[in-house]
This record gives sequence, C-alpha cells and structure tokens, in this order.
Amino acid sequence: MTTSGPTTTPATTPATTTQVYQLYIRATPEQLWDAITNPRIVAKFFHGARVESTYEVGSTLRSLSPDGSQVWGDHTILECDPPRRLVHTWRSLYDPALAAEPESRVTWEITDQPGGFCGLTLIHDRLERSPRTAGSVRGWSYILSSLKTVVETGEPLPPMV
Amino acid sequence: MFKALADPTRRRLLDRLFEHDGLTLGELEAEVPELTRFGVMRHLTVLEGAGLVVTRKQGRHKHHHLNPVPIRLIYERWMGKYAHGLTGALLELKNDIEGER
Repeated sequence: MTTSGPTTTPATTPATTTQVYQLYIRATPEQLWDAITNPRIVAKFFHGARVESTYEVGSTLRSLSPDGSQVWGDHTILECDPPRRLVHTWRSLYDPALAAEPESRVTWEITDQPGGFCGLTLIHDRLERSPRTAGSVRGWSYILSSLKTVVETGEPLPPMV
Repeated sequence: MFKALADPTRRRLLDRLFEHDGLTLGELEAEVPELTRFGVMRHLTVLEGAGLVVTRKQGRHKHHHLNPVPIRLIYERWMGKYAHGLTGALLELKNDIEGER
C-alpha cells in the first residue's frame, strides 16, 4: 500500500498534520520521565544521540550525533511538568530539506495505568507546512518501541533495518 | 489486537486512517456506507480498545488517529530478531567490500 499518487478521496484536512503514538510501559511515571530526560538513557533509544538541555521552559534542547560532530536537532522547551508532560518544538538539522521547513511541535504525556504500567502518548503536530518532516518522523514507532525495551530491560533494540 | 485486525471492516477503517489520519466519525462513516453510525462506532471502539486507534478531542470534533506502535511492538517481538541477523550480515558485507578498496 502506498500513500503517494493521486487519490479519489475528497480532500479534507491534510493527512499528516498531527501524528499520535501511544504505548504502555512497565515503569513508574518518574522512571519514564527520567528515561526521556536523562541523556545517558536517551542515547540508548534515540540512535545514540547526545542530548543537551536544562529542560527549563524557553531553553534549548539540542541533539547531536554520538561523536558530537553534527547537530541533529535544535528544539526549544515549551512546557515542562515532571513527571507528566513535556512539550518542545521540533526542528531537524541533519538534512537541509528538513531544516528549511517550519518548526513543528512534540508533546510527551505520561499517565498512570493499573498494574505498575504507565501510558505514554507522543503527539507530533503543527506539521501542516512541514510535509518532509512529517514523513521523516514516522520513525517514532521504532524510537518508542526502543524506549519501552530500554526502560523494561535496560538494553536497547538492535539498530533499525 | 489480532481480534481487532481479524475483521475486514475494521481493516478498511485502518486503511482509511493510514491514507488520511485524524478523521472524524462522520468522515469514517463515509468509508463504510453499508454500516449504521452505531455499527461504525462499535468497530472504532474495538480498534481503540486494541490500541490501534487513539482519539483526540479538538474543539467539538473527535479525531481518530492510527497508532502504529502496537504493530511495531509485534514486529520487534517476532521479526526484529531475524532482521537484526540480516542487518548484521549486510553490515559485514559492506565492511568487507569497503575494506578491500
């Protein structure tokens, strides 16, 4: 199945302006919050990225290649409410075509679930004028799946095929 | 999740969301005109229960989003291991070939 090419369906809202990803992870909200804001753990599930941020509202959240030589992303913290909610802008810099597009937005929401689980919902929106970015961030499924594995077992998934 | 995917109407609704994410109930109803609104809602409830569809309220509208994570988790569980072996073999091949140059 393909999303490219002409379609006979009537146009309403653009297809990928808001992307929603949801999963359940065996952890406390605090453990999950630590995993998404602790650079040592982020490196394990986000392609080895080195992240730098104080996580204060208005501060930058930069992600660098593992050796620190390239800037992969330059984001700004919009909201930070540990261990429940983190909102930041999203701008990819590893590809000039992505860097040229307007910023989009990423929201992480953590909820309590019965049985020692947390719900994690990631919403990537404001993608209306950033179609290339919208295509590139479909990899969130892999990232979040890897995050779950890291939090539950301590080890990341093998590299993406 | 497999029970949710076992029904052809539900797969059609997921296909529709894959093409066009974030549709409202009314827009999804148009995809399956043979069903009543209640029937479509019932199918969406099953899909939501399985985690394959996540709904978000925006103003007066409820938008349905295809959530690809549960399918990714199934993939990691049974396919990822094999793919990892293949990736390893291909990386080795790449290193061999490039090392020879």
